[in-house]
Amino acid sequence: MTKGLWDRETVATMLMAAYAPLAIVWLWFDGVDGAARLVLALVISGGWHLVFMLARAQPPSLAGAISALAVAMLAPEELGLIRLTLGISFGAVMGELIFGGWGRNVVNPATVTLSFLGFGFPAFGWPEFVQPVIWAVLPAAAIGVATGVMPAAVIAGAAVVTGLAAAAGLPLVPVLPAAGIVLVLLVCDPVTSAATALGRWLNGAFFGGLVCLFAYGWDGAAPLQMAVAAALLSSLAAPLFDEAAIEMWHLRRRRRLGRS
Amino acid sequence: MMPCLAIGAGLSPRIQSPCVTGPDGQEHITEEAGITAPAGAALRVEMLVGEGEGVAHGQPVARCRDHPEVCFTAPMAATVASIRLHPGRKLSEVVLFRDSGGDSHHHPTQAETPAALRRLMQGAGLWQSLRRRPFGGMPAPSETPSALVVMAADTRPHAPDPRRALKGHEEAFSRGLAALATLTEGPVILCQSRGDALFDKGLAGGRITTVGTGPRHPQGLAGFHIHAHTPAALDCPVWDIHAEDVAALGDLLATGHVAATRLVRVAGAALRESRVYRTQPGADLRGLSQSLMLPGPHILLSGSALDGRQAHWLGANDRQVTALPREAAPGKRHWFLTALTRSALPKPVIPTSALTQAFGAALPAVALVRALASGDDETAMKLGVLSLLEEDVALADYVLGGEADLARLLRAALDRIAAEFAS
Repeated sequence: MTKGLWDRETVATMLMAAYAPLAIVWLWFDGVDGAARLVLALVISGGWHLVFMLARAQPPSLAGAISALAVAMLAPEELGLIRLTLGISFGAVMGELIFGGWGRNVVNPATVTLSFLGFGFPAFGWPEFVQPVIWAVLPAAAIGVATGVMPAAVIAGAAVVTGLAAAAGLPLVPVLPAAGIVLVLLVCDPVTSAATALGRWLNGAFFGGLVCLFAYGWDGAAPLQMAVAAALLSSLAAPLFDEAAIEMWHLRRRRRLGRS
Repeated sequence: MMPCLAIGAGLSPRIQSPCVTGPDGQEHITEEAGITAPAGAALRVEMLVGEGEGVAHGQPVARCRDHPEVCFTAPMAATVASIRLHPGRKLSEVVLFRDSGGDSHHHPTQAETPAALRRLMQGAGLWQSLRRRPFGGMPAPSETPSALVVMAADTRPHAPDPRRALKGHEEAFSRGLAALATLTEGPVILCQSRGDALFDKGLAGGRITTVGTGPRHPQGLAGFHIHAHTPAALDCPVWDIHAEDVAALGDLLATGHVAATRLVRVAGAALRESRVYRTQPGADLRGLSQSLMLPGPHILLSGSALDGRQAHWLGANDRQVTALPREAAPGKRHWFLTALTRSALPKPVIPTSALTQAFGAALPAVALVRALASGDDETAMKLGVLSLLEEDVALADYVLGGEADLARLLRAALDRIAAEFAS
C-alpha cells in the first residue's frame, strides 16, 4: 500500500519545525543558561522515554523534545538541578508516559511539570521574555496552523475572548505576551486540546477567559504563572468541550435527519 | 441542487501514474475473465453450468443457495474453464475463456412492477451492483431501502469520470434511474460532479434530488453523502449504486441484454502509460495491463491505490486497475530493537487537519477514530459508522501512513454490531 505522511512522528517533526523560530530566538537571547536548561530537560525527558521503552516496549517520541523545550523556556528561574529534575520527571512520567506515550495522554507533560514546579516551589520567580521572543510566537503559530498540526480554532477562540476583554478595558497588556507563548507552546498541543471544531473554539475561549479572570483577580501572581494555570485548567476541560460539541452535533443531526 | 459536504473539504492525494494515452475508452475485452464473490462476502452458490460448457454473454452461471433468485451471469460469451469453490460451496472463482462470436443471452424485459424489476435485476446479475449500508455487501432480495444513492461522481485518485462513462447512454441512464426509484418510497439522491444535469427534472415524479460533489476525495464516495443526507441505520438500510450500472439497467430494460462493458482506468506507478478502456466486468487484470507495464516486479490491484486489493480479476464494483511496483520486503530488524519498540498496541493517532479532511470534515473524525480503536461500538454508531464502509476510511488510513489500520477496525466494529445489535 502507498502511504501518506501523517503518522505520529511526522506530526511531532512538524511541531518541532513550527517551534524552531521560537526556540532559536529564545536561545539567542537566553544564551548559555537557556541552553543548559534545555539540555538538562532533554536528557531527563529522554531518559524517561528510554525507561518506558525498555520496561513497556513503548516507542519513544520526538514530542519529548517539544515538552523539554517548553519546560526549559517556561520553568521558574533559579530552581536548581534537583527541583528541576523532580519536576521534569513528574511531568514526563505522570503527564504522558504512564498513559502510553504521546497521543494517549490527557494533559500536556510540560503543563504538568510547570504546574508542579509552580505550586510546589512558589518562592521562585517566573521568567520574563524580551520582545523578539514574544514576536517569535507569530511565525511558530503560522507554521503550525499552515501545516495543520496546531488547531487554528483554539488560537482564534483565545484571540476573540482576550480581544473583547481588552476592548472592554481589562488590564491585559502585562499578561498577553506570556499568554501568547503559553497558548502556542502548551494549549495548542494537538493531543491535549479539544479535537472537534466547536470544542476547539470553546477550548481557546476558555483559556482566554481564564487568563482574563486571573489578570483581573489574581493579585501577586506572575503573568506566566497565570497563563500556565489557565493552560492546565483549559486542558482538563478540553474533553468536556469535545463531549458537548459532539452532543450538539448529534442533536443537530437528529433534528435535521431524524436519526444519527 | 442540495449543497455538497463542505466547501473544499477533502484532500487530493497524489498517487504517481503516467498520463493517459491512446484512444479514449477503447474497447478491450480480455481473453479470460473471472466471476468472483463481492469483496468480503462468502456466498454459497449452486452452479448452473459445468466446466467445459459454453455460455452466452449474460447467461446465468451460478445462483446463490440462500437466495436462488440472485444469479451470477457470464460477462462475455465464453467457455467455462474452471470452477473453484471453497468448502461449503462458497464461491471462490469461475474462470471463463472467451468465445469470439458467441451469443448474448436475452432476459425478459417485463418489469412494470417493482417485484418484476427485482426479479429482472437478480436474474441478470445486476443485483450485485447494489450495495447496502450498514455492513456492506449486496442487499437481501426482498429488502426495501429507506433511500437510494446513485453515484455519478468518483474522486478516488485516477478514477474514470462517470460522466464519460455515461456519454451516449443518457437515455438509458434516465430509464434506469426512473426504474430504480420504484424500489424505494424514500428519497433517491443522485451525487454528481459539477456540470450539466444528468436527468430531466420531472423524472420519477420529481422524487430524485441532486447533490453536488467537489473535486477532492472523499467527496465522490457514497458513504459520506449517505452520512450527510440520509444516514443508514440498523432498521433503515440505504443502497448505493454507480451511475454506469444504472445506465446498464436502462439498457437491460430496453433490450433485454446485459451491458457488455464498463469504463475502466488502468493507472499506477508501475506503468509506462495509462489507459482508459471499455472492458467486461471481471476482466483479467494482467490482460488489461500487460502491454503497458514497466519492467520489474509489480502488483496489480482491483480498485484504486487507496482502497484496492490484490486480485486476478476486476472486482464486481471496481472501475480501476492499479499497477504498483512491488516493494522489497523490509530488512529484518534486530529482535531486541523490535521487542523494545513494537508494543502490542498500535501507535496513537494524532489529531491534525489532514485527518479531519480525510473524513471530508463530515464528522468528528478524532472521536470516531478513538471509538474504533477502543472498540466502543455504541459511540461509533452514534458518530455515523453505520453509513461507512472500508472504502470510506481508506483515505484516512493512507494519510496516517497505514499505522492506524482503520479499515480493519471498521470491519471488526461492523461485524460486532451486526452480531450484537442487528440479529
